[in-house]
Amino acid sequence: MTVGERGALRGRRILDLADASGAYCGKLFADMGADVIKVERPGGDPARGVPPLWRDGAGEATSFAFLHANTSKRCITLDLERPEGRELVMRLAGGADLLVETFAPGRLEELELGFETLQRLNPRLVLTSITPFGRTGPRRNDRGSDLVANALGGALYVTGEASDPPVVLAGSQAYLVASSFAAASSMIALLHASRTGRGQHVDVSLQETVTAVTHICGVGKWLDDGIVPKRRGTGLFASVPSGAYPCKDGLVYLMVNRPLHWKALAEWIHQETGNQEVLDPMFEGPSSRRQEHRELIDLFVCELTGRFTVQEVYHEGQRRHIAFTPVNTAAAVVRDPQLEARGFFVEMEHAGGRRLRYPGAPYRHARTPWALRSPAPRAGQHNEEVYLGELGLSPGELGALRANGVV
Amino acid sequence: MTPEALRGIRVVEFTAGMAGPWIGRLMAYCGAEVIKIESRQRPTVVRLYVPPRAPELGVQPTLSPWFTDWDAGKRFVALDLTRPEAVALARRIVSVSDVVVENYASGVMEKLGLGYQELVRVRPDLVYFGSSGYGDSGPCRSYVSWGPNLEAMSGLATLSGFPERPCTLTQYAYPDGLSALHGLFAVLCALDHRGRSGEGQRITLSQLEVMVGALGPLLLQHFADGEEPPRLGNASPHAAPQGCYPCRGEDRWCAVTVEDDAAWGRLCQVLGRADWAADARLAGLAGRLAHHAELDAGISEWTRERDAYDVMHALQAAGVAAGVAQTAEDELRHDRQLAARGFFEEVPHLAKGRVLAPGIPLGLTGTPGRTGRAGAAMGQDNDYVFGQLLGMSRHEIEVAVRAGAIEPPGP
Repeated sequence: MTVGERGALRGRRILDLADASGAYCGKLFADMGADVIKVERPGGDPARGVPPLWRDGAGEATSFAFLHANTSKRCITLDLERPEGRELVMRLAGGADLLVETFAPGRLEELELGFETLQRLNPRLVLTSITPFGRTGPRRNDRGSDLVANALGGALYVTGEASDPPVVLAGSQAYLVASSFAAASSMIALLHASRTGRGQHVDVSLQETVTAVTHICGVGKWLDDGIVPKRRGTGLFASVPSGAYPCKDGLVYLMVNRPLHWKALAEWIHQETGNQEVLDPMFEGPSSRRQEHRELIDLFVCELTGRFTVQEVYHEGQRRHIAFTPVNTAAAVVRDPQLEARGFFVEMEHAGGRRLRYPGAPYRHARTPWALRSPAPRAGQHNEEVYLGELGLSPGELGALRANGVV
Repeated sequence: MTPEALRGIRVVEFTAGMAGPWIGRLMAYCGAEVIKIESRQRPTVVRLYVPPRAPELGVQPTLSPWFTDWDAGKRFVALDLTRPEAVALARRIVSVSDVVVENYASGVMEKLGLGYQELVRVRPDLVYFGSSGYGDSGPCRSYVSWGPNLEAMSGLATLSGFPERPCTLTQYAYPDGLSALHGLFAVLCALDHRGRSGEGQRITLSQLEVMVGALGPLLLQHFADGEEPPRLGNASPHAAPQGCYPCRGEDRWCAVTVEDDAAWGRLCQVLGRADWAADARLAGLAGRLAHHAELDAGISEWTRERDAYDVMHALQAAGVAAGVAQTAEDELRHDRQLAARGFFEEVPHLAKGRVLAPGIPLGLTGTPGRTGRAGAAMGQDNDYVFGQLLGMSRHEIEVAVRAGAIEPPGP
């Protein structure tokens, strides 16, 4: 049995027609053992060429983002503009559990691949559409991007320093959030389809998924306290103390939420700096008790952290059950002893024998192990395997499709 | 009437904070029966809520808006899990359930006698999901962390933001939400496997590892060249100009992405910058990246005099991606798209009557979910769970209450 053949989703087949905004959804399925067939236009997905790029041993340059989001998938090419190309998608959809796509609302219907058509063909099929704003509503046809989804979804306004413009997180997190939501929704729909025999159309909006993950700063809180959440640097408004604090050689992050953790911190500050005031019972209890003393308490914490290195504060703080963590660079993360001890990063061999390391499993299933089965496929790498071996086309038919530019 | 998608699935939760509870919240929304077991001695953070508008009321365990966001729609029982009789009752609840979700500190469930090895004896096909900051192995497995700690620890804070800032954090504890979504997917996959094989299993999740994975492309880049990926602020290496531009009013901003050369031409038209459109230096991505500061200044000059929504509408009308940096208030009051899609949900609340909550955007058009009751007290559903579900008599329940195993309902 090769690696990944024991994944939880072994036997599930997914057609992945998503661009960069939804590619991570297919990755979640593929690394879990599903057979994910990525469908690209002849010549390949333009996302392959989005910089920065990495050159494998065979000289092919591919986007890091593409490499990351397309592991464990297979890839075929076909031209959706051509009836023969659509016919191939229909035949594949007939045997699939899930189709994931990111076309503009209405585009699938124009291609005669709308949900009703697909459902007539395969009643169990789940169709998951990921779009910037959803498939309905007055702004459904507006243009989106990771930045725009983060802006409208409320993430931008509450990220960064109060005196700076709103700023986006690195790594296209809106794409990741929407894809994660889409993967969960699709699984719910698949479980339901297994029971009832009926698939459904899943309509995921990037903006809405961002709004959902930022709900700590959302309408519930605002209606409750009347305070519009804003950017406020590194400290979290509801937790005192919290934020990045300077050590001798860098920054540590501290967050205190439980009354017990405050006591432990106050004790340490007192022991180390001789500060008596920090032990005042008026500071004890939930964070709300310390809210109006925030600046003073920050000074107390700085007095402590400034005496040590980041690693000293981290490990001694944690020994005392206080949530101190280093503020890590990429170089520190990839060498982190905890991640190393757990064998988190995984190395994969690419074409031409060049190797590259990847982040590993986000979850560990004891019986059905997650696995990076293969690096992102080359465009059309599995054309013959799929068209000849699985759809049963003859070499002559495939040759004709190639000659006509369909494949 | 279509049945809810997860009807018939029963979930037992031993959770605190958000990364664990949000999983059950989403499953309950889809019709699963989710039973949260709490202990009075160890209340979760949202139970320690003091209303900011009425601090004199002191701690109000059912009133936090986040308690609605994380725990609405669930059943609540209260057990003193330090007592063996209570642990036995918790095991009985698990024996009639499909899934356990826990995110207590590493090792706590085992100490309580509720670890996977114990529970699988009473429910052989159990799907047991445990989430923790650092995972269940390794030298730091017992370390304490909250969402923002993991933004820092994973590298996200250092890799994000403007170049001159050493680190940039969110106010929304991003790792909690992202970990919950990954946890939900992991549980659903295990249920799918169980459906086909009859096998349950144990799943563990490290929230740190979810976050590090979320930085995939940046870390791949680092593995390839050994350099720290540069902090780009709001700029992008493959779309220019891109930024968040100041608009009229205090702290109002609109984000703009010019995705390609065609969009660049449309932007120039809206801004009335024929000079830019004709400028050969700016015709391609490389040139626009090289002159990004100049473009930012020109765009800001135009946006600064305009309302943020006017900026968005004018640019979108011309086919340029743009979006207001919305506040929570904007989302509710000014966003016609969210309103048209019925995004916000009115949730019945035991103490407040009704509350408004952000929607759960799973987008299941065939089996749309809904949020059940919010604002439950600890032990609110003791009678249902111990009486109806486990079939205990009134007398048996009273004995367990007197023994201190079952904690009576109440704040």
